[in-house]
Amino acid sequence: METRYGSLGPAIGRAEPRTSAVKQDVLDLEHRPEAVLSVLEADQLFAAKQHAQLGRAQLSRGARVLMWGLRIYVVVMFIIVAMQVVHVFRG
Amino acid sequence: MTKDTTLRLSAQTPHQAGSASAVPGDLRRLITHEDVDRARDRLAVVRARERGVPLYQRLLRLSWLLVGPGVLVFLGENDAPSMLSYAATGAQFGIGFFVPFVLLTFLMGFIVQEMTVRLGAVTHRGHAELIFDRFGKFWGRFAMGDLVLGNFLTLVTEFIGVRAGLGFFGIPPLVAVSGAMVLVFAVILSHRYWTWERITLALAMFNGLFVPAALLAHPQWGAISRAFVTWSPMPAGGLFKPDTFLIIMADIGATVTPWMLFFQQSAVADKGLQAPDIRGGRIDTLVGTLLAATFGIATVVATAPLFAKGINASDYQAAQFAQALQPLIGRVGATLFALGIFEAGLVAAITISTSSAYAFGEVLGTPHSLNRPLREGWGFYGVLLGSALAAGALVLIPHAPLTYFVLIVNVIAVLAMPPALLFLVLLSNDPAVMGEHVNSRWANMAIIMVTAVLVLAGLGFGLQTVFPKLFGGGG
Repeated sequence: METRYGSLGPAIGRAEPRTSAVKQDVLDLEHRPEAVLSVLEADQLFAAKQHAQLGRAQLSRGARVLMWGLRIYVVVMFIIVAMQVVHVFRG
Repeated sequence: MTKDTTLRLSAQTPHQAGSASAVPGDLRRLITHEDVDRARDRLAVVRARERGVPLYQRLLRLSWLLVGPGVLVFLGENDAPSMLSYAATGAQFGIGFFVPFVLLTFLMGFIVQEMTVRLGAVTHRGHAELIFDRFGKFWGRFAMGDLVLGNFLTLVTEFIGVRAGLGFFGIPPLVAVSGAMVLVFAVILSHRYWTWERITLALAMFNGLFVPAALLAHPQWGAISRAFVTWSPMPAGGLFKPDTFLIIMADIGATVTPWMLFFQQSAVADKGLQAPDIRGGRIDTLVGTLLAATFGIATVVATAPLFAKGINASDYQAAQFAQALQPLIGRVGATLFALGIFEAGLVAAITISTSSAYAFGEVLGTPHSLNRPLREGWGFYGVLLGSALAAGALVLIPHAPLTYFVLIVNVIAVLAMPPALLFLVLLSNDPAVMGEHVNSRWANMAIIMVTAVLVLAGLGFGLQTVFPKLFGGGG
């Protein structure tokens, strides 16, 4: 059966005790980078994430208006919360 | 590493299935301990999908492997202030409107959190990282500011819960808080995401202590059933009475908070989930939702006897709830309640401090995985432990005003959600990021409704605070 496990394929298909096959696969992961790369997607590697660039999203005017509007909403609400807290502790 | 090794995501196929030949040769030399551990976890999932074993065994094994971020985020959100909000709800309003309302808030939470599963599984990135990448530093810093403020305030309340829960047993605050800190430190010592996840899940299951506490309160099942169907009786004085509206806000904030978005997406990425695991991640999230909703409603039911007896619990702290309940549900019931509050604070302290650590690491580009040993992830673990230490220390300040602080923190969480939800919606509708896994029309409608509810609730709170006499409050 075709798998995406690359060099691990034969190990998985083998008819042998599961424990020893699992141990072998774990050793493969620790000592053979290809084994790691055959199980993970490319951008799951820490080094890949360090250097991968998604690029800036193109925001519509509506999205920008919403972002600013909600940001102003939060700032105003936090001020109101602060007012309420002060009122409670004074009262 | 040169620019030639940069991986650029395409709009057509943002993520290719793993293929060693597709990865630049330089990367082979940069496989880290974190990558190996994540690959080990992936290998277990891959093996669990192999044919040759009965289907039910495969499904059980897969469920065991994939459960984690969803259950943890919801049981972590059943934290000390949340459980105290539910306790206050039951004590002030009994069985009625709030029982189905709490369930509704969890439905809202599921709608939101499901999107983080897709984002994490498809992009393999944390939420903070994505926001900074796609929207830039200006908006990223706003998002981080909300998260840092909210997380720190919430962490303080978790240690309030730890202190109060163990205070019922006469344990001094310093011992209680120090003991919780030791546990927070201990769960990360394995430097394996899998181990950390399993230990924290086991601790989170103790959130279920509120269920036997509720059963010991001899609940009126007829009243509970009627409440689910009719949403009544309504709170006296209407929903906009100041005390009632505060509880509404606190109950919403008990299930929908910014840290949940950041935590679950980062945990999904750290766990190594991929697109084929999205369905499993959804089930994990649904299980978490249902468990947390059950435990939250159980807390409302557990304290309903206080309402029935006409006991004024509006100023109660956590330990006072347990003490007040003892004559009504017995020493065992009160003990379970107090232990539940302690667990709620402890598990949330673990998950929320981890959420902050993930976000800092993602933004600064430093290692940020529970698969890293301490020496490799010292910044990540430093933020995790440092934030917990600072929050715990504040709780030990004598005569600190803790009671009101607990309720208002949930209110702050509700107010900070709308911008966080907007980022979530924009990202989960972005084809360059999500490919074929962008939001469906139904998902967009649902999230817009959730956002509208939160904005209206926040506006209601604001109006009520500025014009209290309009709502029957004020002097």
